[in-house]
Amino acid sequence: MSKTILTIDDSASIRQMVSLTLSAAGYQVLQASDGEEGLEKATTHRIDAVLTDLNMPKMNGIEFIRQYRAHPSSAGVPIVFLTTESDDEMKQQAKQAGATGWIVKPFEQQKLLAVVKKVAGS
Amino acid sequence: MTHDPADTFRQEARDLLESLEQALLDLEQTPSDRELVDSAFRSLHTLKGSGAMFGFDEVADFVHEFETAFDRVRKGESAVTPALIAVALAAGDHVGRLIEEPGRYAAQGEPILAALQDIVGDQGSVKSTSVPAPSDDTRRARSWRIRFRLPDDALALGTNPLLLLDELRELGECDIEALTDDVPPLEEIDPRVCYLAWKVSLTTEAPREAIEDVFLFLSDGMTLEIEALEPGTSETVTADQASRVLPQDLDTDRDKSQAAGESPGKSAQPPQHREAKERQGSSSLRVPAERLDELMDRVGELVIAQARLSQMTGASDDLELKTVAEEIERLSSGLRDITMGIRMVPIGTLFGRFRRLVHDLSHELGKEVEFVASGEETELDKTVVEQLADPLVHLIRNAVDHGLEDPERRELAGKPRRGKVRLAAVHAGAEVAISIRDDGAGLDAERIRAKAESAGLISPEATLSDNELYQYIFHPGFSTASEVTSVSGRGVGMDAVKRTIEALRGSIELTSEPGSGTTVTLHLPLTLAIIDGMLVRVGEGRYSLPLLAVEECVELPESEVAEAQGRNFLNIRGSLVPFLRLRELFGASGEPDPHQKVIIVSSGEFRVGLVVDQIIGNNQTVIKPLSKLHANLGTFSGATILGDGSVALILDVAHLVNFGRGFEERLRDERMRREA
Amino acid sequence: MNDANRAAIAMQALILDLGGEIFAIDAAQVREILDEVPITQVPNARPFVDGLINVRGRVVPLADLRVAFGMTRTATDEDSRIVVIEIELGGESSIVAIYADRVYDVTDIETASIEEAPKVGMRWRSEYVRGISRRGESFVIIPNLERIFVEEGDLEPVPQKAEA
Repeated sequence: MSKTILTIDDSASIRQMVSLTLSAAGYQVLQASDGEEGLEKATTHRIDAVLTDLNMPKMNGIEFIRQYRAHPSSAGVPIVFLTTESDDEMKQQAKQAGATGWIVKPFEQQKLLAVVKKVAGS
Repeated sequence: MTHDPADTFRQEARDLLESLEQALLDLEQTPSDRELVDSAFRSLHTLKGSGAMFGFDEVADFVHEFETAFDRVRKGESAVTPALIAVALAAGDHVGRLIEEPGRYAAQGEPILAALQDIVGDQGSVKSTSVPAPSDDTRRARSWRIRFRLPDDALALGTNPLLLLDELRELGECDIEALTDDVPPLEEIDPRVCYLAWKVSLTTEAPREAIEDVFLFLSDGMTLEIEALEPGTSETVTADQASRVLPQDLDTDRDKSQAAGESPGKSAQPPQHREAKERQGSSSLRVPAERLDELMDRVGELVIAQARLSQMTGASDDLELKTVAEEIERLSSGLRDITMGIRMVPIGTLFGRFRRLVHDLSHELGKEVEFVASGEETELDKTVVEQLADPLVHLIRNAVDHGLEDPERRELAGKPRRGKVRLAAVHAGAEVAISIRDDGAGLDAERIRAKAESAGLISPEATLSDNELYQYIFHPGFSTASEVTSVSGRGVGMDAVKRTIEALRGSIELTSEPGSGTTVTLHLPLTLAIIDGMLVRVGEGRYSLPLLAVEECVELPESEVAEAQGRNFLNIRGSLVPFLRLRELFGASGEPDPHQKVIIVSSGEFRVGLVVDQIIGNNQTVIKPLSKLHANLGTFSGATILGDGSVALILDVAHLVNFGRGFEERLRDERMRREA
Repeated sequence: MNDANRAAIAMQALILDLGGEIFAIDAAQVREILDEVPITQVPNARPFVDGLINVRGRVVPLADLRVAFGMTRTATDEDSRIVVIEIELGGESSIVAIYADRVYDVTDIETASIEEAPKVGMRWRSEYVRGISRRGESFVIIPNLERIFVEEGDLEPVPQKAEA
């Protein structure tokens, strides 16, 4: 059975890129455009991993990670966040909140695949 | 729908640049608004991140510098000034160019960045740290001994040790041993905690960094030792290693495990919140516009077919058939409303660019301008909104360029230095009125007259009211400014605006008060597709008119019936309303009905009564355009197909109201002449 | 008229009757022929195109060539037909309908049988007539529809480009 990855990003182009890359590699992909929508999807679907942006409107990535981790369905689900080199403070906060890993933007498709494979398996 | 994320990025970038621009323009008004600064910053951040992702390196590099400079503003180290806004806007424009035509404009970014850095007092950002060179470039296999133990909460937080071991195996030959020393007695085991540690002997060509990368996400709270097993070099490697060994503290961050759930793995966890809440608003779908047009066409046909059905069943005694027909009527009218609703977009989507336009114009022309927009939420059919952009740009340019005076001249006239341009959209019956009002000098009737005379449009003897003279600026090739500025250009002028508006079945109205300004109002139909109509009969002909334009219907008073050519005014609760006898206007034959009706319709602030033989009822009017052969008949704005399959013409209310105003003006002139 | 022009006129034609005269319309232009349909009068329109009809959900102007040829407009009867044609109007292909007192058949018109309309001595404006052919004893008029619609419909003869 293929694994389901939830991608949360307010940038449609990034969502599209993630979705194309992962589905080409055989993953199922769910999309959400902010933390709120992401939380709703994460808690109502069977998810194998979450990829989330940090800088988002409505509910940012840190808050998403906190709230998702507070929900029992998040147990064992890796959360990988997207960050930029300059965002060290955010990165620390995300890790504190319960993230599993991160990807530094800009990243290439192989890097994305490698990380997803790393945390969720193939 | 596009399948290339780069295309999606281009679209997204346009949206981001637009919101950046809005934030900057808003900041100019309220420089201390933190949220605006954050919003601008977020737009830049996303532009940079996504741009770099999809190969827009010029964009990413430029935005990086832009963002760095703007970060000083965010941190409060630099103030928001008009100069900053102006440069930031230019920088935004530059980003737009970099996206649309990569490789062409990169060189033009330097001066903008220099100006930006100048303003924020930045010495230029430190270039992002270069990637460290690989520690050894010789690719030979080395052996490593690796020991690791995961943080207690690692499992709950999604780390799968088996995947880590798989990754190590991919690097090279592995010998893996699980260390069970820390596993407690069964009754003390917490299923969420990973008690195992591992010892791995690995032989690989990959550098140390590759091994560290396997544990990249686990630096906090885990034990990791990586030891090179090469004799001879071990001393130096170990020394180097000391700084690289990751923290061994097992107890830090333990509190973060509190959030973990009761069961150890996702597999044992049935999804607990299946009740899918309906999401509001946030999910949307992009659909090609042609599909919407096609949908509208189909719905139009359905509405016509349904009207036929109603007409046929109306005469039938079959109750069951009648019930079904009524059901279909309800469904089709619902479908019609929804379809039209889909096509409606708020006009505010256009307003954003006007603020920028005014901002740029005011700098270019050295005029101080306050731009106030209202009614952004007013909705219009998307086709109408799309086509309004150019006319509105032209009208706003005119208002700033020709309408408003120089600050000095305004002061001399006792007005504030700062001119005001108002853009307002409001719903009014079946139409939307969009007005552009300036508080400038007003139109110069004398100059217009001189121009019209020299162009041979009017004879020197003709007596024309100021208002009539103003209308000449809509004449092709007529430009009121004696010197043509670069802003307003030449040639394509108000006549183009007028044509566009009329092509949208709208009308344009212009009033001007010397010394206090000019107002141009565009009246536009809500939709170009289907309207609720009122069907009337004049002689043998049936006509439809937009129900929303109808204010009331009254019977034509006996006193007026006889006087066919008399004064065409009705007293409607104290105010005189001109009326038009459509029988006369249309040259209807036969005898008029004994009880003629007057339908009072309005357009803008004006009303007119339309005298008809009979009011047949309401109908759904699917608007069909008239061909070129009938395009110049002002009285009709289109045609529609009735339930019986015949064609009815749609009355152009705005045109008829204007016609009625002609009566009023004549009456006023007459009175004035009599008094004189 | 030279031979090349004549060859261009040779055609399959729909033959119809208007005010007792026989007309030939290029069959390639004809979309369909309708029996009597309700006609909506357009007040204040030019007499040449003062009607509208519904052709399969489309509002189509109805032109009366009798006006262009100065004939009396008699009342419709059971032989009356409406011919829907496709024509260039102001540079755009448009659907219009023309009235016919009666429609006969579709015939080949031989190139050799077409003669140029006489510049003088004709009751009609010569530019409205493309050529004249014979059908048995009677003459067949081949009207220049494009020209007629431009003149009678008061259209711009050359399509106007919108200003930039």
